Amino acid sequence: MIYFFDGSKDAFLTAFLLAFRDDSAVFTAGNRQLSLGQESIFVRTDPQKALQCEKRLMELDKNCIRELTLLLRSGEEERSQIAFDYLKLIAKRKRPVRCDLSQDAVIAATECMRRVTYEVHRFKGFVRFMESESGALYAPVSPDNDICDLLLPHFRERIPEIPFVIHDVRRAKAAVWDGSHSFTAPLEQAEIVLSADEQSWQSLWRRYYASVNIPSRKRLKQMKGYMPVRYWKFMPEKPAAATGDLPVREPPANHKECGDDVLHPLGSS
Amino acid sequence: MIAEETLKILTESAKYDVSCSSSGSGRKNTGGIGNGMPDGCCHSFTPDGRCVSLLKLLMSNDCIFDCKYCMSRRSCDVPRAGATPEEICELTVDFYKRNYIEGLFLSSAVQKSPNYAMEQLVRTVKLLRTKYNFHGYVHLKGIPKADYELVTEAAKYADRMSYNVELPSEKSLRLLAPQKSKESLLLPMKLLQREKAEFSAEKRKGFFLPAGQTTQMIIGASPERDGQILRLTQSLYRVTGLKRVYYSSYIPVVEDSMLPAMQSPALREHRLYQADWLLRFYGFDVEELVPEGEDLPLDVDPKCAWALRNMHLFPIEINRAPLEALLRVPGIGAKSAQKILTARRYTTLNFEHLKKMRVVLKRARHFITAGGKFYGSDDTATVRGLLTAAEQPKNAKQLSLFDAPSVLFSLPSGREAALAALTGEL
Ligand code: SF4
Repeated sequence: MIYFFDGSKDAFLTAFLLAFRDDSAVFTAGNRQLSLGQESIFVRTDPQKALQCEKRLMELDKNCIRELTLLLRSGEEERSQIAFDYLKLIAKRKRPVRCDLSQDAVIAATECMRRVTYEVHRFKGFVRFMESESGALYAPVSPDNDICDLLLPHFRERIPEIPFVIHDVRRAKAAVWDGSHSFTAPLEQAEIVLSADEQSWQSLWRRYYASVNIPSRKRLKQMKGYMPVRYWKFMPEKPAAATGDLPVREPPANHKECGDDVLHPLGSS
Repeated sequence: MIAEETLKILTESAKYDVSCSSSGSGRKNTGGIGNGMPDGCCHSFTPDGRCVSLLKLLMSNDCIFDCKYCMSRRSCDVPRAGATPEEICELTVDFYKRNYIEGLFLSSAVQKSPNYAMEQLVRTVKLLRTKYNFHGYVHLKGIPKADYELVTEAAKYADRMSYNVELPSEKSLRLLAPQKSKESLLLPMKLLQREKAEFSAEKRKGFFLPAGQTTQMIIGASPERDGQILRLTQSLYRVTGLKRVYYSSYIPVVEDSMLPAMQSPALREHRLYQADWLLRFYGFDVEELVPEGEDLPLDVDPKCAWALRNMHLFPIEINRAPLEALLRVPGIGAKSAQKILTARRYTTLNFEHLKKMRVVLKRARHFITAGGKFYGSDDTATVRGLLTAAEQPKNAKQLSLFDAPSVLFSLPSGREAALAALTGEL
């Protein structure tokens, strides 16, 4: 049986209750699609069943729900199946399994979670804010996993006096700190009026970046391993990243990035 | 706002200092901007593969000293520049709030006099902490021969300080950095270490170098062998309680008859970092790694080399061996060793298990048994051959064709690169 659900935690738990004894269960988030030769159902959230399922799982392993939410944030196709297999093993053994490191289900879940938390860690460094006219900071991001709200506490502790928005342009949502509250909200496009000095600070940063590089030690492959090219898009240093040198002419501001319908005033190309 | 040209000059004179780590400080935000991140944080990477964590700058590159290897030295004809404490504070805060950097690494040439240069550094860090309310990471370089009062004053505001040993022996130091002396570098390190110990013993308020001290040595500008360098390293860790020793491959930036014209191969530097890692985290003593008058082998990493000299200790059974023994197996790092310890509580591990757990077996298989089974070769010569081949799969041919430093730079790959990431910011 194929179980479709909307990707939310509660829908997952509702479906889990139906499926955990089914050895050939396939779990997949997203819309019900035509599936050849296999029965499928679309499971809608039942809050009561979800709660019941959560309680039972928590009795077996009090950390597994936290792990489930992490797994569902993954951008990987198989995330629902990985989460299902992992929780099914807990249900079967009736105890935590996370230390049984040679089990396939545990390996898959551990690695999937690690990729999510690793991206959170990386983005604590790779997020780039720009300053708006009001002094608030705005950072467009496009991470592999659904993590923009996980970044919020880090920056709230760091710059509590400055309101900021971390905008996941791919998922059209934003994590917001308004100076006293934090929340997430859907956000398609943001129009930002930059502060008078913003472009100058970006260009100083590019200058710094190009100057601190040691050209005689070019190791681009390693560099791209540490900072994958897909993350460069919103970094002001992007024009210097591949070569270490600044382009002769500064790219025009308000440059529209193709394949992405958000107008971002970074001027990075 | 600081001028771009000034920033360029002050950065280019500072960039050969390899330390860029921002770890070790848990400073909290108490109003204002910034906090510490105990594990450190990389904000960008430059095409040379290095991490950008801190804004690394000199306050001035106008020096009265004349160290032979340095392009800021008095006798060098380079453009000079300097920045004011205000300019540096503003730059730090504006870069920091945009999340470009984790903090500031401020150093200076000996401008006018050691005390004048040190005063400028102290003024800047004080201003940053008090007027700008900045709680992010600050690493200050100590100026040799500055008064000790200035140095301790700096330590109250900085997270980390470093005096660079520069050269691995007193003789080379006298030759290449005539105005510095061993005492002018080691004494302040020891004094700071003592003061920090007193500070925490008396539970005094505030901070005193929460991230400790580090130092740096230039490799390949002078004739010392790896054995001598690592003995100095080990004593620095044990006697002065340093957090890190950094090694910086010599890169010729100025011409001098006393200096080599070639840059020192990055592979040598890499081997030193690996050995350093073994000293700090794997329970090795320098005596086990390399004799005083010799270099580390370049063809295999220092742990492999040790294992090949000690084949009688292997193979070990991974289902029973204690952590210390697992850590000494070539190819098994701290993470893999921990994974093995955890997983073997549930089942008797075989090679299939290890593979699935992503324990790299290329080298390890010659030194372990899993459930009694052995999949390696126990002939030392064969193993050595296999290991050197395992280490340089694609580059081996290139190496013999163009045995130049530029090729060596591109060498470390795969696991080596992962290790390089661990050994830090290189
Ligand atoms: S003291 Fe020596 S190493 Fe430092 S800036 Fe002056 S010349 Fe260079």
